[in-house]
Amino acid sequence: MEDFLAAAVLVLDPLTLGMILIGTAIGLIFGAIPGLTYTVALALVLPLTFGLPALPSIGLLLGTYIGGMTGGAVSSILLGIPGTPTAAATVLDGYPMTQQGKGALALGAAVIVSVFGGLFSLVLMVLSVDLVSRIAISFGPAEIFALVVFGLSTICGLAGTSMIKGLIAGVLGLMVMTIGLDALEGVPRMTFGSVQMLQGVNMIVAMIGLFAVPFIIRALLQHWAGVTPAAATGKIKVQFPSLGYLFANWWLIIRSSLIGTGIGAIPGTGGPIASFLAYDSAKRFSKDKSKFGKGDLRGVIGPETAGNAVIGGAMIPLLSLGIPGDPATALVLAGMQIQGLVPGPALFLNNRIDVYGIYIIIMVSLIMLFFLQLLCIRLFVHVLRVPQQLMAVVIVVLCGVGAYAFRNSIFDIYSVAIVGVAGFLLVKAGIPTTPLVLGLVLGPTLESNYRTAMNLSGGDYGVFYTSPAAVVFFLMALLVVVLQIVGTVRKKPEPVPSVG
Amino acid sequence: MDFTKFTKLSLGLAIALTVAPVSVQAQSDYPTRPVEMSVLFGGTANTIAQLLSETMSQQLGSPVVSIARTGGGGAIGYSHVQGSRPDGYSVVFNSNSINTVHHMGMLPFGYDAFVPVAQISVEVPVMAVNANSNWTDLTQMAEAVSAEGRRINVGISGRGSFTHIASAALFDAMGISELVNYVSYGEGNAPIELLAGRIDAAVQWPGQISSYTESGDLVAVGALGTNEIYSLPDVQSAKEQGYDIDISMWRGIAAPAGTPPEVVAKLEEAARASVTSEAFINASRNVGFEPAFLPAAEFAEVIAEDDVFYADLLTKLGLAQ
Repeated sequence: MEDFLAAAVLVLDPLTLGMILIGTAIGLIFGAIPGLTYTVALALVLPLTFGLPALPSIGLLLGTYIGGMTGGAVSSILLGIPGTPTAAATVLDGYPMTQQGKGALALGAAVIVSVFGGLFSLVLMVLSVDLVSRIAISFGPAEIFALVVFGLSTICGLAGTSMIKGLIAGVLGLMVMTIGLDALEGVPRMTFGSVQMLQGVNMIVAMIGLFAVPFIIRALLQHWAGVTPAAATGKIKVQFPSLGYLFANWWLIIRSSLIGTGIGAIPGTGGPIASFLAYDSAKRFSKDKSKFGKGDLRGVIGPETAGNAVIGGAMIPLLSLGIPGDPATALVLAGMQIQGLVPGPALFLNNRIDVYGIYIIIMVSLIMLFFLQLLCIRLFVHVLRVPQQLMAVVIVVLCGVGAYAFRNSIFDIYSVAIVGVAGFLLVKAGIPTTPLVLGLVLGPTLESNYRTAMNLSGGDYGVFYTSPAAVVFFLMALLVVVLQIVGTVRKKPEPVPSVG
Repeated sequence: MDFTKFTKLSLGLAIALTVAPVSVQAQSDYPTRPVEMSVLFGGTANTIAQLLSETMSQQLGSPVVSIARTGGGGAIGYSHVQGSRPDGYSVVFNSNSINTVHHMGMLPFGYDAFVPVAQISVEVPVMAVNANSNWTDLTQMAEAVSAEGRRINVGISGRGSFTHIASAALFDAMGISELVNYVSYGEGNAPIELLAGRIDAAVQWPGQISSYTESGDLVAVGALGTNEIYSLPDVQSAKEQGYDIDISMWRGIAAPAGTPPEVVAKLEEAARASVTSEAFINASRNVGFEPAFLPAAEFAEVIAEDDVFYADLLTKLGLAQ
């Protein structure tokens, strides 16, 4: 308790608070802008921490991380272009809501549930860091492979009208991710002898292409055809879901928080899989599924809660094992190491005050985030006033800059263009984008964990059915597939208009 | 309507916006604009580069900006810098990887496409095992493995990666290379596998495991290089334990071949002052690498010697192209 108070005093220092605020704001802005991600923001703020004391630097870094994690929802909802990979699932119902004029409500709900998800995961993390880190260790390649298979099974629910087209999209996504230098065997794949192709198609770059380029093409086509939807006029007010609505969906919110925290704690999985699973579970467990994909608020609440609940989960392996789950947390780790806080078991023995400090920083950042968002949404919603064809031009620039900024590679700008035009043609052919994204996001994890598991077992498939955790995930995946088949067979083709 | 034309035009615009205009400057007043340092890897490489660019900026009086150009085992960043103008405004934060990617056939040019500026740091890889194995040093580990005769799983970040090559050289010296199965994990994931006991051993960086050796979960049975390790002072080197290998990860700065010598000298001086600064040394202890400045001439020797060594080793491992 004494340590806790000491930590609180350190965090409540004006410098630390200021840094948390700056970080959170920077993260929020980078996350909200399509093309720029919090990973880029973190790389930019990391050098600023070198001259700062320990807690203010960590405040700046964690603030940026948390702000960026949440900011992704803004462009998902308003433009249908996810600001971060984690926010890809939010597009599914968030963007249709905007098209129906309910974008402000979707944003308001996203703010509330994402702050809740973050705080929930923080509490869960503080209470269970020892236990969860021990469970996380027991998640080996075989278990992670099973988890990812379960994640991929949600393609069933996302495929839209045609299961075959959904599967085509999923497999395309998996295939694209095999381009480049294979990290495990060091073998160039599908590079055609080009050094540039060795870097492969970056997942974030591909996502920028898939969502932004079709938006641009569509907006300009509509403009030239003279059918641009009218930009919003008059007053745009930020709306919040009623408390009654939130309470009615309490189990959805808690379930999504648990999904996010649990998956965040397993290194090498992270945000996108958590938000897609949360979306799937939101849809699967609701009585009236008919509005999902067409602007159901629950389709925003599920992934947004889970996406931010990943924060607390991801802190568990980061702090207790020193294992970063993704490039963004790797930068947070670097910042901590420079300050002399080496994550791992010794951190909890030697730097108890700093650990409490980190907990308090996360809490403070989430609270600041809530108020910052209240301010920012008022600004962000004005995006809706901008005519689509002008917005398209802005997005072209942002995508070019964003794609380049991520790896400082011109190759990635070409990737955006190629993936984007291909994405547009796929949409025209009625092939849904979301399963493709799922393939992109989960492909590398799926492949590397399968191969590592097989290597460890000496080629014995037994690893996949002797591990209880793996068996549970496989059975869940099987259940999802079977339910889907049963559902399709029973319903027969329903006259649902195809969703583009 | 010509959309491809539009897309091309907009992309061109986007590219034009991201690439700053370049003007030719006299060399005597170098540097007059920011120096770009391409960084090839994440993790410690990125951390050291960020620290270095911070202090070098102060020394040069012009910003040194570290820019991540990762991918292809370093090939992407090397080919970018090799293809840029040799004027000292584009340098690479290089490492042994220049020799390994070249000999593995992923880069059409080798270390001689660059002029060395200065060596910055050395990271000494250590062989780590789970404490439950009861292995305490390399000899005992070699004996126990031979006696059991079972294959041990050894974690590496990827085939042909530095951790793979270093492990292979050590196990070869220990005479147990026949009993080793390499398991690739991607960068940075091996400590978990080691803690969970899914792998038996892994070459690790001191910064990754010092927390675990302190808590008693992992044991460092030997260091592969001979430099002293600040965070793991008690670990004996393989050489001290009677195995004739000395492998460390050096990192330094190199510029494209043809960069004027006076420009290289300015960068070299800034690097020397940075690496010997108190701030850099303090940070190195926290991050877990050893500052090891070497001037351009000596750095050139290190790189050339290593090139022969890795060409040999990679051929022996069947990885050379």
